[in-house]
Amino acid sequence: MSVAQPLLDYVKALKPRRSFTESVSAMKRLLRYHKKYGLYIVLTMALSLARSYLFTLEPLYTSLIIDQVIVGGQHDLLLSYLEIILVSGVGVGLCAFAMTYVQGVMSQYVVRDIRSEYYSSLEEKSFSFYDSTAVGDLISRATIDLQMVNAFVRMWLGTIFNALFLVGTTFVILYSVSPTMTLIPVATMPLIFYFTSRLWVYTMPLFRNMQLILGKLSSYIQQNIVGMKTVRIFGRQDDLVDGFKQVEQLYVNTAINAGRMQALYMPVSSTVLSLGITLVYVYAAYSTLSGGAAFTIGDIILFARYMMRVSFPLRDLSQLLGTWVNASAGLERIFEIIDTHRVAEDLPGAKNIPITEGRVRFEHVTFGYSKKRPVLKDVSFTALPGEKIAILGATGSGKSSLIYLIPRFYDIDSGMITIDGVDVREFKLSSLRKQVGVVLQDVFLFSGTIRDNIALGRSDASLEEIIEVARIARIHDFIESLPDKYDSEVGERGVTLSGGQRQRITIARALISNPKILIMDDSLSFVDARTEQQIQSAVEEATKSRTTFIIAQRLSTIKNADRIVVFEDGRVIEFGTHAELMAANGTYRRIYETQFLGKAPENSSKEGNSK
Amino acid sequence: MSGPGPGRWATFSTREEEARERTTPDRVLIERVYGYAEKHKRSLFAGMASIVLTSLTGLASPYMHQLAIDKIIVPGDLSGFTWWVPLFVTIVLSNHLFQYIQTYRMRLVGENVVADMRDDIIDKLQTISLRYFSEGEIGRIISRPITDANTVRIFLRVGLTSILMDTSSILGAFTMMYILDYRLATLALVMLPVSLLTIWYLGKYSRAAYRRAAVVTAGLTARMQEDLAGVKVIQSLVIEKKVKERFEEQQDDTVKANNRALLISSSYMPLIMFLRLLGTIAILWYGTELFGVSGVTIGVLVAFTEYQFNYFMPLMDLMAMYDQYQSAMTAIERLFDLIDTKAEVLEVPIERRVELP
Repeated sequence: MSVAQPLLDYVKALKPRRSFTESVSAMKRLLRYHKKYGLYIVLTMALSLARSYLFTLEPLYTSLIIDQVIVGGQHDLLLSYLEIILVSGVGVGLCAFAMTYVQGVMSQYVVRDIRSEYYSSLEEKSFSFYDSTAVGDLISRATIDLQMVNAFVRMWLGTIFNALFLVGTTFVILYSVSPTMTLIPVATMPLIFYFTSRLWVYTMPLFRNMQLILGKLSSYIQQNIVGMKTVRIFGRQDDLVDGFKQVEQLYVNTAINAGRMQALYMPVSSTVLSLGITLVYVYAAYSTLSGGAAFTIGDIILFARYMMRVSFPLRDLSQLLGTWVNASAGLERIFEIIDTHRVAEDLPGAKNIPITEGRVRFEHVTFGYSKKRPVLKDVSFTALPGEKIAILGATGSGKSSLIYLIPRFYDIDSGMITIDGVDVREFKLSSLRKQVGVVLQDVFLFSGTIRDNIALGRSDASLEEIIEVARIARIHDFIESLPDKYDSEVGERGVTLSGGQRQRITIARALISNPKILIMDDSLSFVDARTEQQIQSAVEEATKSRTTFIIAQRLSTIKNADRIVVFEDGRVIEFGTHAELMAANGTYRRIYETQFLGKAPENSSKEGNSK
Repeated sequence: MSGPGPGRWATFSTREEEARERTTPDRVLIERVYGYAEKHKRSLFAGMASIVLTSLTGLASPYMHQLAIDKIIVPGDLSGFTWWVPLFVTIVLSNHLFQYIQTYRMRLVGENVVADMRDDIIDKLQTISLRYFSEGEIGRIISRPITDANTVRIFLRVGLTSILMDTSSILGAFTMMYILDYRLATLALVMLPVSLLTIWYLGKYSRAAYRRAAVVTAGLTARMQEDLAGVKVIQSLVIEKKVKERFEEQQDDTVKANNRALLISSSYMPLIMFLRLLGTIAILWYGTELFGVSGVTIGVLVAFTEYQFNYFMPLMDLMAMYDQYQSAMTAIERLFDLIDTKAEVLEVPIERRVELP
């Protein structure tokens, strides 16, 4: 089966009708973000009204010039009329400027609020969320999708107000000139309305699908470039490319279809109004000549001019549709993430509890990423205060999950984990996590100085304290050898650090708050002998007088542990000291002998994690 | 150029790359894009022809109004409607038809060209050495098939059409104006440099402001990218609040920078509208002076104000296209850069692969 199958299925399952209701609910939700900015909305409305009124003056006075100055010969009126046109033009310009600015500022704020909420929600998501989501995809939602939202928020109110007010004021003036002839432009309105609504109904689902497909394509590329190494190893790239091209073809077809609809209906309002002008000419000329209502040449030009002008805001209105569809698809993608509930929360009554001893007890713990397939099954054991527990098991046996359950990065399904006899769920999350030091598998450092990075968890840490933990982590000497020492920048602009150096900085970072309990996901297996020795020494020093759980990759760590937990298939199959487990002559002994003492002992660390 | 300096806010942004000057001449890029469009030659030419015809039929409209006023309504010779009405209706309807053909055909070409380019990139991404990915920043690569391709897409769809249509509208409008009355046309022409200068000057300011805002925005994106990549660290150290504050601070800076850019860009359109109005006033004033003395009729005046509208809007549009054109060219260059990257480790063709026992 093609890797792209789920994507294709997704695209085929897109339903036009559903998209309409979803788009409406996205709009409702977007409106809530406008609430704080009522003043901006009122201002936009007032400016739009003023602008529409001033905008109608130019054609009106042009027709007066024609009737009174040119035809009537009253040349003294010309300058004052031109003055009015000029002043009204200045007014229109000022109103338009203020409108664009006010709306632009409001949209900046609205988008900022959405982005903040999105960001906050991301900060709270649990590890399992990030295990299954590409960061690049989350970023593209915050950038590309929010840009679409911004483009819509920036113009939607103004476009609607302008259309309403301009059509309104135009009809008032036309009515005052000739109620009968006003029937002609009035008659065009239902036609324009009809065709515009057809445009909306036909193209909206298409546009929405395009936007959603593009979003999916982007995620697809993210995942397959990020995950490219795996893909390449398994030789599935042809499959991937085919899948990509199939979905892309669907996108192209939808886009062309939508374009066709737009091409057909978009110019309708100006076409209908132009044809209406024909009727105005014919009617006015016949009526005047046959002795009915008499029209001056200025009146006729006024009608024609207004009917041409009125088509602009109507056209803007139908273009608003495209903007909205893009924005609503973007909003849905944002809300989808905000609404994903994978958050560890404080339970009612959670407290700040100090950890005094550091006794950690697992009681019948069962946990799985999905309920049906538990990763950990009925795990029970106790780590005594200050004890160093090494965890051994095959990839996917649930080692990482086990240690990440302690600071509640995941929540267990059944059973209990206690620290000093207190269920971890009775701790406030912040209280719990502050007291449990974590060295993650991924040795991630933030851009900034080394000092910033070590002091990340305690911004009040003094340089002495930082140096102290750096010494314990065996990284102090290296830092001192850098030109800027602790103020050296890390990351793209700064010094390049090896994996081993980064890891020791992350150890120092975990130690800065002097946690009673330390969990370490030691993933570095490809290191040279010297680094191995340094890391080992750092781990030894760091784990003194702390209860430590360490996922072991290397022989030295395992042998130096107080006790060893051996995992298989999510169950604890052996638990005891090195000597005890060797004596038991079970799985541990087999692993120990085949992998660590086996063929190439000096390479042992490389093999540590394989089956 | 201001922006977040190195230090606390330093980020692995793509700033350097964004700021880089283009090195490939436009002509080369356009030729290569045309290479992709060649498959859809018929649609391309049908589309382009329709664009020109759309603007020509559009230009006929004010002239028709002039004829209606001067030849039929003012003299009261209603029999003229027997030829005028069918002709005008035909022009209006064919304008609609050409708009349809043009939009549809150009869309067809644009979408297909971009899809083909994107396919080439995806193919390339499959064959170039893994080293490329570990060295380069992944986000930067990802932005190419999606963001850059989208820029090109929008340009091919809107930009190219606008450039052709606007150019023919402007030239057509001036031609018509000279046909109608050379004195008024010269007046309109004299106002042109003033308008152009204003538009250009304003555009320059607004571009600079936007570029500054874009740099700040890129910093915010990079900040977010880093925070999300390190979210597990953030959670384990319980520094969500602190990090959020830092993000909010940077976000507020971004909003401020954008608002400053907005102040300039908001004045762009109204100023141009005002310039247009000055043109209308000049024509009304001079036209009224000339009226009766030398063959300037009411119809001519009305047609003139419309034509003046007809060249002014496209002019503005054209200036706005300049930015779109530049960013599209940058995007195109980046896409071709990637397509041209030499594969360091090519896959061995299937027929030459050796099965291991």
